[in-house]
Amino acid sequence: MSHLTRAPRIVLAKVGLDGHDRGVKVVARGLRDAGCHVIYAGLWQQPEAVVQTVGDEDADWLGISILSGAHMTLVPRIMELLEAAGLEHVQVLLGGIIPDDDVPKLQELGVARVFGPGTSIPEIAKFVGAVGEPSDD
Amino acid sequence: MTEVVAIRELLDRFRNGDRQALNRLVSLVSRGEALEEVRVELSGIKHDARLIALTGNSGVGKSTLVGQLIEHIRSQGETVAVLACDPESVLTGGALLGDRVRMSAHAGDVGVWVRSLATTSGRQSVTAHLDLAAQLLAQYGFDHVILETVGAGQGDVAVDAIADVVVLLIQPEIGDELQWEKAGVLEVADVVVVHKGDLPGAAQTETQARELLNLPGCEETPVVRVSSKTKEGIAELWELLADLPSRQRVSSRDTRRLLRLVQEYIADQFAAWPEDMNSVAEDWAAGKLTDADAVQRILAHVVD
Amino acid sequence: MSDTNGTSAYERWRQAVDAAPPPKFPPTTISGRTIEPLYWDEQNPGEFPGQFPYTRGVHATMHRGRLWTMRQFAGFGSAQQTNERFRFLVEKGQTGLSTAFDLPTLMGLDSDDPRCLGEVGRLGVAVDTLDDMQRLFRDIDLNDISVSMTINAPAIIIMAFYLAAAEDAGFDWKNLRGTIQADILKEFHAQNEIVFPPEPSVKLVIDLIEFCTHHVPQWNTVSVSGYHIREAGATAAQELAFTLADGFHYIDKTLERGLDVDDFAPRLSFFFNAHNDFFEEIAKYRAARSLWAETLRDKYGAKNEASWKLRFHAQTAGCSLQDKQPEVNLMRVAYQAMAAVLGGCQSLHTNSMDEVLALPSEHAVTLALRTQQVLAYETGITNTVDPLGGSYFVEQSTEEMRTAAQDYFRRIEELGGMMTAIDQGFFRNEIANAAFAQQQELDVGHKIIVGVHRFVEEEHKPLDILEVDPEVEQEQIASLRQIKESRGQDEWLRSIDDVRRAAENNENLLPSLIAAARARATVGELMDAMAEVFDRHTAAVV
Repeated sequence: MSHLTRAPRIVLAKVGLDGHDRGVKVVARGLRDAGCHVIYAGLWQQPEAVVQTVGDEDADWLGISILSGAHMTLVPRIMELLEAAGLEHVQVLLGGIIPDDDVPKLQELGVARVFGPGTSIPEIAKFVGAVGEPSDD
Repeated sequence: MTEVVAIRELLDRFRNGDRQALNRLVSLVSRGEALEEVRVELSGIKHDARLIALTGNSGVGKSTLVGQLIEHIRSQGETVAVLACDPESVLTGGALLGDRVRMSAHAGDVGVWVRSLATTSGRQSVTAHLDLAAQLLAQYGFDHVILETVGAGQGDVAVDAIADVVVLLIQPEIGDELQWEKAGVLEVADVVVVHKGDLPGAAQTETQARELLNLPGCEETPVVRVSSKTKEGIAELWELLADLPSRQRVSSRDTRRLLRLVQEYIADQFAAWPEDMNSVAEDWAAGKLTDADAVQRILAHVVD
Repeated sequence: MSDTNGTSAYERWRQAVDAAPPPKFPPTTISGRTIEPLYWDEQNPGEFPGQFPYTRGVHATMHRGRLWTMRQFAGFGSAQQTNERFRFLVEKGQTGLSTAFDLPTLMGLDSDDPRCLGEVGRLGVAVDTLDDMQRLFRDIDLNDISVSMTINAPAIIIMAFYLAAAEDAGFDWKNLRGTIQADILKEFHAQNEIVFPPEPSVKLVIDLIEFCTHHVPQWNTVSVSGYHIREAGATAAQELAFTLADGFHYIDKTLERGLDVDDFAPRLSFFFNAHNDFFEEIAKYRAARSLWAETLRDKYGAKNEASWKLRFHAQTAGCSLQDKQPEVNLMRVAYQAMAAVLGGCQSLHTNSMDEVLALPSEHAVTLALRTQQVLAYETGITNTVDPLGGSYFVEQSTEEMRTAAQDYFRRIEELGGMMTAIDQGFFRNEIANAAFAQQQELDVGHKIIVGVHRFVEEEHKPLDILEVDPEVEQEQIASLRQIKESRGQDEWLRSIDDVRRAAENNENLLPSLIAAARARATVGELMDAMAEVFDRHTAAVV
């Protein structure tokens, strides 16, 4: 894909049962302002549904938010399903409460980056290669 | 530009029912890429799916209604694809596309396909080439294709040109006279839905809409009251849409459609600005070419 | 200011102080100076604590007379493990128990539901059946300790389980003390533990209020919660306004059942956040008390002073905790707790420093509790009531919080009331806007978090954290299966039918739920039965 000016398409989803969506919603707005096309898939998403969404939306990125501690169950399942669907090219980001010890394990599974509490929006925007600048005020 | 080989391979996979190939092809055509290949692929194919467009101002509950229609369509055992358009920010080019959340009762159901699209700044409300995307979806096998787009304004002319049925959503306005008659979208609508029909004032809005639409000597436009909250009117609306004849001017050879195709074709050619046009521009800048000559040369390129 | 009997506010306050049991030792500073129970401007005495509208506190002597309840939220894994943690906390001197349920239970799902994979027993205790509830409170004297249960959508089922378990263990419902959160409105605004649509969801809350008013008179029926609204990113004023508006809505709906406001309003309690901005938080608590008292007396015509008094639990702000240099969280929590105490809380949970990393370890929980004990026994802030009353800054901030809240009450009214405002996404939008604004302030450097934006340390020392045994999930599922197989099928089926019928007939659901608990119906089955009548909430959660 060679379109230099094409906005990155990112699916953001809350996976599992936890409903804490402050972070994911702030990231959604922030990435929009940074020039991304953000597709917010909402709460309580099952891994199967997330992967279908990523495919049907032809997204470049998948951002998952999990604050419930179930990431070591849910993320491997998502990575498996992405591969099975032929969506290995999709880069996966993870946000939420993720203990340090789990980060290398998640990266080994193919997660591109884990963003913990205190991450700034420009940091995430830069990582996904957004070209716009987030508004300052 | 995507390579020809890759496109051919995608089309092969598409023919074999590969959903990811469909997904990629929809992306390509909605960005104005691979148009010719896809047009060739689809030419001569007759499919039954109709493109139903839902349009209306933001906040009128288009996505919620689409969610209800999805539920209804699935309960009949049929499949549905949805193209949901939202405008992107003029400043940053970014967009926050949250429509699918309102349709998410069927998340993970393979009989439902949803694509969120950001319509480019400054363009019309419908993303370019969506008719091709809709045809791809129909060809892939979805029984119904729904297009959801922000209405009110000149943008809807495009909806008019590509949809088989245009549904305009309005909502009860308390106290005020209806505002939307100014918008010039009324004549486009094949069906007018008074959404949020459970709210006070819905009956009054319905009456007003009828009065405004059904003038003597004109064909009657149906007005339906629907509530996504109570689900009242959903089944009736769908039945009505199913029985409605497709608009002639779209399914056949409408002049407006032809002109739009020309416009799109020219725009695509410009997007693929070849190197040798640079020399025309340079000569013109240096005064070696008159305006008229330069335009002629470039047009010749475009038409080739 | 004198009342109808001609006694001045001061005299009435003095009488209340004299009537209260005196402190064992007259409070003095470390240097031996005597501290009076209250300080005020004699030229312009204003309000006194323990008197309408309670800006200075709901009791005449506040923490000088009686300390707040130190209540640490706990729960993880199986009911048995949580029961062990409860007994550990009681031993450490904790005076109230607070139960955290796992996400499947909070969402009304059984542990064997495929959607719960990886979540069983993780963030709290898993309760599927009455047996789990019995295990949870085994060997705990329910006459002696107050029990708080944090649950919302399925609150009425959990309450039914608790009442059945307590009665079967020989406790009289009349003696049970505690609180069930049961505040579904804030779930629609902020936390998203939602199962049914707004209207039936509220009906279940009102069922609880009605039933407990008649049968469990010492129970706090709803803990009207701003905590989660704040955690979702709301401002202090939004937290204050939305929480009180929720409380008013519960009153409106309970009055429709024909109850007298004074019969149930004293059992509504509140739950607020204790965030970083020290004085703003104190102003928020003070404003909350006066707004509630005025509305209860003047709008709802409550005559019982207990109805006027806003009592609240506070928890330090989970969202303020950082994973960088986590020990620094100890300091954040301490200042936040101090604001809650100076603001006049009745009970307090202090977060553990490692809560942003995982469930708190015993070490971290102990330190959090010690933080409260230091405040109570060493700092001297309990020696006099409302020591910040009369501060120009605090008084004006209190007034500003009141005005901001009243502004929101008006806007909600203009939108057509609570239900319409929820339908239109008003609360969610307001909160999301505030959350985004806060993030932008951090991103551009207008606000600083220590250890994150400045004073960063490269070296990262991980804390020892509590790991939940993944076997808990399998064990819980096995135990649930066993119960499902061994229960009496006819009785179980009949009990579920009764619940469904009660829902259809718009009856109070608690009696049939208590019977179903004893027939070993599960949380998930009972939610399904209710959903057949109430439908599920599928509307936008954007």
